[in-house]
Amino acid sequence: MESNTTTAAFADPTTTANTPNQALSTVADTEYEDQSIGAELTPQDINKMAFRSLFLQASFNYERMQAGGWLFGLLPALKKIHTNKNDLSKSMKGHMGLLNTHPFLVTFVMGIILAMERSKQDVTSINNTKIAVAAPLGGIGDAMFWLTLLPICGGIGASMALQGSIMGAVFFLVLFNVVHFGLRFGLAHFAYKMGVNAIPMIKANTKKVAHAASMVGLTVIGALVATYVRLETTANITAGQAVVKVQSDVIDKLMPAFFPLMYTLLMYALVKRGWSPLKLIALTMVIGVAGKFTGIL
Amino acid sequence: MEITLLQALALGVLAFFAGLDLFNGLTHFHRPLVLGPIVGFILGDLQTGIITGGALELVWMGLAPLAGAQPPNVIIGTIVGTAFAISTGVDATQAIAIAVPFAVAVQMGITFLFSAMSPMMSKCDEYADNADTAGIERVNYLAMTVLGAFYFLCAFLPIYLGADHAKGFVEMLPEELMAGLGIAGGMMPAVGFAVLMKIMMKNVYVPYFIIGFVAAAWLEMPVLAIALGALAMALIDFMKKPETAVVATKEEFNDGI
Repeated sequence: MESNTTTAAFADPTTTANTPNQALSTVADTEYEDQSIGAELTPQDINKMAFRSLFLQASFNYERMQAGGWLFGLLPALKKIHTNKNDLSKSMKGHMGLLNTHPFLVTFVMGIILAMERSKQDVTSINNTKIAVAAPLGGIGDAMFWLTLLPICGGIGASMALQGSIMGAVFFLVLFNVVHFGLRFGLAHFAYKMGVNAIPMIKANTKKVAHAASMVGLTVIGALVATYVRLETTANITAGQAVVKVQSDVIDKLMPAFFPLMYTLLMYALVKRGWSPLKLIALTMVIGVAGKFTGIL
Repeated sequence: MEITLLQALALGVLAFFAGLDLFNGLTHFHRPLVLGPIVGFILGDLQTGIITGGALELVWMGLAPLAGAQPPNVIIGTIVGTAFAISTGVDATQAIAIAVPFAVAVQMGITFLFSAMSPMMSKCDEYADNADTAGIERVNYLAMTVLGAFYFLCAFLPIYLGADHAKGFVEMLPEELMAGLGIAGGMMPAVGFAVLMKIMMKNVYVPYFIIGFVAAAWLEMPVLAIALGALAMALIDFMKKPETAVVATKEEFNDGI
């Protein structure tokens, strides 16, 4: 732990993060009461999870993105793992955090996470792992499915359809979904087995795993703030004949994603002051609509 | 040919389920290639449906929803476009021009839904607090029902009333307000991240947050590359002081303390 404390001391003066006291209290909050390894999940349980993962984006929204559907997919397995109601609640709360991943590859993340839930890892550790694994899959999945599989299946199908054959549609649906469902269910079982095999290692190194997961998780969150949050100004400054576009001529040259970072840090500061997400959503909507009407956003 | 009420309702129901498939299920029966023949079957002209579907598939190919950016709505475009191609005999690509205002309208509906569902997440937090699993499920089912209803209306109204009459409904939509909500939607993940960081951020991890931001904003590295780089940093840390035999090293490390 020596290295950690030195890093903390080093980072302290410049940071807006938790005070040590708050950090301590959240750590206690995030540990499961029942630390015994959770009930074993049968292949049927994993299949059920994979099936429910089809509804990953059911309650998609701008604030938490896929969180609601993600939790929907995990629920039956979580109920089986956490027989203690407080633990189930802790787990569910953790899974309501912002998440965005590829809807086909999501079962890979779910399998790993269920294995971690079974081994009763710290909730923060689970959520950091979730983000670290889930976020990069977005780009991989886009390249695999939307840019490769779909054009191939669609192209072949369309050429058959243009000749008037219904087989084009049939061929498309079958080929696409053999790959789709094969991967969705295959990855679920593969990831869960892999995660379960890793349980002894994780259990023996809980603290270190949590620390490693946080490092990757927070790095990815830093990257996602720059990519997911979209906020640009359309304002121009007119100085005599010259027109300066604030966004492209000034901000982008000094610091790309400046506004997304500033807005996220503002929201973070307000959350820490006890503002509820509801209030922040309302504030964001007002700013967005007002910005549109005044022409600065 | 005249489209009956029953046929228009059937096409609306088709739009309901195809609309859900675009985000949930993802069997891709919502592609023009498959929807075309189904619309043709409902209107009693399978052959035109197949060929129109094939032509529209090529139009929408490459217009995939990448990284959250929404292309013109493929489902309303296909169902309304194919229906008009069959009922009026116009060319398929001309027919989708008629469908465009409704494809835009359903997109506004989606913007509205994604905005309206954001406050619902606080309700979900409450359900999670009480370990109310049924509550979480209800929210998901509700959102899907509302989404499907948007699709139903945007397909049924123009097909049954005729595009010219139905346009009146579309013009009533407050376009500026919806655009404002869209901008707010872009900012909204900041709230999600703030809630997340409240739980996860500790002083020790601030440097990693900065590294991640710099890699994405200035270096424009893909998230996978950033995650792997972070993994390397984490592994260096993980292997520094082995707690158990898992990370066995041949050398004798002196911890210096």
